[in-house]
Amino acid sequence: MKDQTRRIPASRQREKPGQKTKWIGTDMKRVEDPRLLTGQGRYADDVSVPGMLHAATLSSPHAHARIISIDVSKARALPGVVAVMTGEAVARLTGPLPCFSNPPVEQRCVAIDRVRHVGEPVAIIAAESRYIAEDAARLIEVEYEPLPAMNDPRKAMHAIGEGVLHPARGDTNVAMHRNFSFGDVAGDFARATRVVKRSLRWARSGAQPLETCGAVSEYDSATGKFTIHVNSSMYNYVGWLLAVTLGVPVHKLNIIPTIAGGSFGSKLFIHKVPVISAVLARETGRPVKYLEDRSDNILACDHHGSDRFYDCELALDHNDKMISMRCKVIDDYGAYFQFDIGHHGNALSQITGPYQIGSVEADITAVMTNKCQQGAYRGFGSEVSNYVMERMVDAACSEFGLDPVEFRRKNFIKPEQFPYFIPTGNLYDSGNYPAVLDKALQMLDYDGWRNKQKEARKEGRYIGIGLATCQERSVFSATEFWMLNHEAGFALTSSPEGVKVKIDPTGNAVITLQAPFWGNSPETMATMILAEHLTMDPANISVTYADTDSGIAGTGPGGSRFTVMVAGAIVSASQVIRKKLFLLAAHLLDADPSEMELFDGKVRVKGRQGAEKSIADLAMMAHFFRLSFPDTPEFDTGLDASCTYDHPLTTMPSEDRKDLGIFYPIMGHMCHMPVVEIDVETGKVKFLDYVAVHDCGTIVNPMTLAGHVRGGTAQGIGSAIYEEYKYADDGQLLNANFADYILPSVNEVPPNVRVGHVVTPSPFTEYGIKGGGEGGRMGAPPAIASAIEDALKPFGVKADFLPLTPAKLRGLIRQATANQ
Amino acid sequence: MKPWPFEYHRANSIEDAIATLGRHGEGARLLAGGQSLIPMMNLGLATPDLVVDVGNLSDLAYVLVEDGVLRIGALATHNTIMEADASASACPMLVVAYHSVAHHTIRNRGTLGGNICHADPASEMPLVLTLLDASMVIRGARGERVVAAGNFFIDAFETEVEPAEMLTEIRIPAQAAGEGYAFEEMSQRKGDFAIVSAGCRLSIRKGQMTNVRFGLTGAGAQTRRMSVVEAKLEGAGPDDRLLAEAAELAVVNSDPSDDIHADAAYRLDLVRTMSRRVLAAAVRMTAKQGAL
Ligand SMILES: Cc1cc2nc3c(=O)[nH]c(=O)nc-3n(C[C@H](O)[C@H](O)[C@H](O)COP(=O)(O)OP(=O)(O)OC[C@H]3O[C@@H](n4cnc5c(N)ncnc54)[C@H](O)[C@@H]3O)c2cc1C
Repeated sequence: MKDQTRRIPASRQREKPGQKTKWIGTDMKRVEDPRLLTGQGRYADDVSVPGMLHAATLSSPHAHARIISIDVSKARALPGVVAVMTGEAVARLTGPLPCFSNPPVEQRCVAIDRVRHVGEPVAIIAAESRYIAEDAARLIEVEYEPLPAMNDPRKAMHAIGEGVLHPARGDTNVAMHRNFSFGDVAGDFARATRVVKRSLRWARSGAQPLETCGAVSEYDSATGKFTIHVNSSMYNYVGWLLAVTLGVPVHKLNIIPTIAGGSFGSKLFIHKVPVISAVLARETGRPVKYLEDRSDNILACDHHGSDRFYDCELALDHNDKMISMRCKVIDDYGAYFQFDIGHHGNALSQITGPYQIGSVEADITAVMTNKCQQGAYRGFGSEVSNYVMERMVDAACSEFGLDPVEFRRKNFIKPEQFPYFIPTGNLYDSGNYPAVLDKALQMLDYDGWRNKQKEARKEGRYIGIGLATCQERSVFSATEFWMLNHEAGFALTSSPEGVKVKIDPTGNAVITLQAPFWGNSPETMATMILAEHLTMDPANISVTYADTDSGIAGTGPGGSRFTVMVAGAIVSASQVIRKKLFLLAAHLLDADPSEMELFDGKVRVKGRQGAEKSIADLAMMAHFFRLSFPDTPEFDTGLDASCTYDHPLTTMPSEDRKDLGIFYPIMGHMCHMPVVEIDVETGKVKFLDYVAVHDCGTIVNPMTLAGHVRGGTAQGIGSAIYEEYKYADDGQLLNANFADYILPSVNEVPPNVRVGHVVTPSPFTEYGIKGGGEGGRMGAPPAIASAIEDALKPFGVKADFLPLTPAKLRGLIRQATANQ
Repeated sequence: MKPWPFEYHRANSIEDAIATLGRHGEGARLLAGGQSLIPMMNLGLATPDLVVDVGNLSDLAYVLVEDGVLRIGALATHNTIMEADASASACPMLVVAYHSVAHHTIRNRGTLGGNICHADPASEMPLVLTLLDASMVIRGARGERVVAAGNFFIDAFETEVEPAEMLTEIRIPAQAAGEGYAFEEMSQRKGDFAIVSAGCRLSIRKGQMTNVRFGLTGAGAQTRRMSVVEAKLEGAGPDDRLLAEAAELAVVNSDPSDDIHADAAYRLDLVRTMSRRVLAAAVRMTAKQGAL
């Protein structure tokens, strides 16, 4: 519903979409690949410093217990062991870990007094080798007094006394309860003709990067300064908080990024690992490497995914228009609460999906249990609300006999309605949902598959065609970190991205980014955009990553923001350089700067044949020939620019939070259509086809975007069919290894996810780019659930929980057959 | 995830390996391809204080047919066996079943000897070797003994091989010409250990099934040949109703338990389905071969 009282800031777009481009929009090969594919990337574990020690942790075998005593004497006595520190010893040198909730939930890198989940560090060791460190860990004797383990948030939320994880925060495990209501929910439900209800379940899974979190720390006692190499993101944004934890002034900590071997969100902001290595470095006076092993990462990475129970209702009017939705959600946050309920901010940014739904209510209860805490995982909680929205749409269709394609089409926000405010106050900048749907239907040959499905059913085969039309919010604004909390602690509003661009004397460029490589293609993207803007050859551009000493403001990848934000910063920097090039060239060519243009790596005077200077010539002049130019400051030596780009479109939430403001507006969209066949006797799901059409605005590189879509889809398949952390009643994690935590392999993922694109440029970002980093995982789960339900229609099976493992699916079929 | 401290000895002969095991006693473990032992050591599930590496004994890596018997050296890798002409000609069922065992890289290092000495109850080869009437050659300080597969597997992770002994060879009688065989399994992913697997061999003579071998994994505590099912089929004509009844009999004789991947009810469903499928496939295969 368009609300005129809501303000849309003016667009700051400088580079318009639709211009003729040379690089943007091409399948340029990734510039990162040669060194990565030849094994020459430098990951955290490749960092080696003379005299370096290796750390290991002793982790808690209990989910919830008091620590009565710790005896480290045997461990200390083991030859090769240099330091053993308990939580108490660590607490003498460090404060709590950074936490973004308010009031904060105190978390220490090594537990003191009480352990709250299996795998939580209880003691840390630095030794001459990791082997010795682990041997030492086994020699530490800890006496625990077990406390009741909280495994089910629906029970944990009622626990008091011994079962409460953080008594200091009150006698409850409810970390936060909030009710958000936008628009006239009660009125809309009262006037609804039909209402569909579902209880939906989204199980906990995790990102599983190939490389775990790791850090190498050095402490220089002469200067009192720490240097930490770490594979974390966001260090140029909130990395300074680690200095606070380490008890040193912020300028006494330099964080040097290493490339990350996969993150998918889970390395958004690594705090425990660098602090453990740093405190041991300080204690021992030697550099210390701490690299999580697989168990550490699975059990204690602080970045498990969402774990939610929904009760949901969707109201339809007499025209089969969706008019309102309300849901109660219980979210199992685990033992700590580092990001508050930011995951639900993600959900609320697009909770009504691509549909015109006038009101919405979300009642959110965040509960603490004895599990690893939630963090970021591709989608950051909005993948769950996509699943919920699409499940409700499918539920309405199946319950009321509506056609899933036409029902969606009818309820879509129409292309002419953009920019469009959804009830929560977030704005969708642009979109063309019918075009995406049509393209997917056509690419899949929807009617053809419906026929094949009919034929197959005659032979007793069960083919299902899935459909999900969902949003991919991109480019978060910092307001989402705190706006769901009425008593926000630190109500920040900046989420900038900076770049430095330097043209060297020979005319080549170095771009410095403020966030690390973490599996995406930041170098390729930055190279393409600068090459475009300065008409340079990409081969003459290289990309590097700033440490915090030299870095400027930068938030880093996350929430599918990096390409949009870096593009903005590069355009700014490039404009500065362009201006200087024009100034220099104009002086040398006896023209006015306004007459100049860039063409093919040269600056020339418009319309004057032969009057041109190459960027290389001008760069040499700019660096070494100061006396060739007038003695005014704009001609001062050098050719570089440092620029920061702020969020292109964001506003403050209202005081009463009836309006959350614009916080996640650069809105992508997707339509996923899998075709599956189910062996109803074994519950095995096989993919026969898979089409994914995405609209992420102007595409910088279709090839790398398709890689994102396919990889995300593979992870979505994991969430839909295979992956779940299985915590037992006593809080033990039963599948904390890759034999039992089932990740889909190449055999379980369709050989060809056919990717299509529709381009609806953003009116607010440079070139009209939107984010596209999380899409696959945000669309595949509801699409697969829908395909499974479609295949099993003859049994009336409902895909109301994920993952639908073969055993679970067969169970549903067995039940349905018994009931028939 | 590092192993506990251990000593390492690289054996230069079978005799050396056995003597070292004998000298050291219970805490010693043989290391073949390491695809089961090393992960167990890294997870702290196995904590040997001496590892005797026999991986170098390449003279135990053979696969050959001799006098109608497929002879496999204990250190032949899964892939060597799977790809050997000798296997394909003498024991095609082995090759078929191998398509369900692990992944290429694992099969490149893992050995059949290590696999069956490890005796994971979910492992395919113990079942297949049992159905193929294989026998195992075990060498100790006092010489060699030959144990039939049916007696070799004692319990989950427990075999006839004593701590100071070594398996040296697996012998499999060649399958009869014209016999039908089938192997099927359900696993979550390709290459995973089976939740339930089923195997069957049979011949059809004068319209009657004979030499029926049938068995399952995942149907109970350990690998089992199901003689009641075999008895029901032996001598009978292969009609669909009978095969379905045989599959039902397999269900009745199974007592699986729950684990994190599958509950017992699911396993029973799979027992029924896998049994029916392998029986039907084996019958179909004999029919096809008969027509040739
Ligand atoms: C990812 C993965 C997937 C797998 N999937 C499957 C699967 O689907 N099906 C399956 O069956 N297996 C699977 N395996 C296990 C694989 O088959 C192993 O190779 C096999 O179990 C062990 O063989 P190995 O040579 O590696 O033995 P090792 O690991 O070296 O040894 C295994 C055990 O056998 C003992 N041993 C080895 N050789 C001898 C000998 N000659 N005499 C006496 N004792 C001996 C060792 O002491 C040890 O106790 C998988 C393994 C992995 C890592």
